[in-house]
Amino acid sequence: MVISSDADSTIRHELRAAHNASLHHIANPGPSYDAATRVEIAQVASAAYLTTNPLAPWASPSSRPELTVAYRLARHANTITQGWVNALELTSAQLTEIVGVVISVIPVVAFARAVGITLPELPRPAPGGPTGEFAPEVGHARLNWFPVAAPADQRAAVLQALSALPSEDTNLWRLAAAQYMSDVQMADPLFTRGTLSRAQMELVAGRLSKLRECFY
Amino acid sequence: MNLTVDLQTIASGQGDAGLPHGSELVAFAEAIAGYDEHRLTQARRDLVCATSHAFMIDAAAVAANFEMMTRVADGTGAKFETKAHEARTALGHQLGISERLQV
Repeated sequence: MVISSDADSTIRHELRAAHNASLHHIANPGPSYDAATRVEIAQVASAAYLTTNPLAPWASPSSRPELTVAYRLARHANTITQGWVNALELTSAQLTEIVGVVISVIPVVAFARAVGITLPELPRPAPGGPTGEFAPEVGHARLNWFPVAAPADQRAAVLQALSALPSEDTNLWRLAAAQYMSDVQMADPLFTRGTLSRAQMELVAGRLSKLRECFY
Repeated sequence: MNLTVDLQTIASGQGDAGLPHGSELVAFAEAIAGYDEHRLTQARRDLVCATSHAFMIDAAAVAANFEMMTRVADGTGAKFETKAHEARTALGHQLGISERLQV
């Protein structure tokens, strides 16, 4: 249902499992949005990522702000500014969740396209309203635009970025561990799965990030 | 085992960064970041021919991870602590992006 049956048998089990879990994560209610809205956000993000005829960064694909953010983050992430974000009629929790949904679908789609397998389909949205599940305590962050789990700014900005929403944070780091490496493995400069060396991994990571003009 | 990466290759996309299969990896990463399906198919084939199917899949997974992490950073306005600015400025010069770095 999720990853196509023609997927190559050499795809690691934990990678396939993390991608399937991420798609199911999207299709379940989140802290501020129901599952149907989350699937819509993911569909817009996926289409924006894949299209060869994208809208301009300043153009809105929808009158709904959550879909506008999804499109711009998926296709023109490097053009997003704090002023643009602040002008949207969305709460910090909603914005963090939209980021969480977009980054739940983009790597799965990107991977499928890269290896040449059938693009994944999103599961049907699960029933139920928003969960209202947030970190027990959040704090204002200097290193991110949105509040994060308290205490803020004790970790690097990307590490705390989604921490106000535990379900999005968990999915992010499950994906990272399967696609790249876990935080424990990251401490080992010789880490390898027997394929790419650590240096080769960083070459791919660095060049991709440069092309995306992400200067974090 | 080579543990160094020539940063000029990351900045320019030229060369192999002094790594085995570096040029094929760069071409694959560039094709993933682009929108030309023929180029992507060719880059995938070239990498598999030079290495293995499992190697290509793990390279694709790393690229997918940074399609994710770049959006986490850009979508949440991620910044470094001021104390990291000096080291980042030096790295930024090497990568040719120093004018884009924020404190």
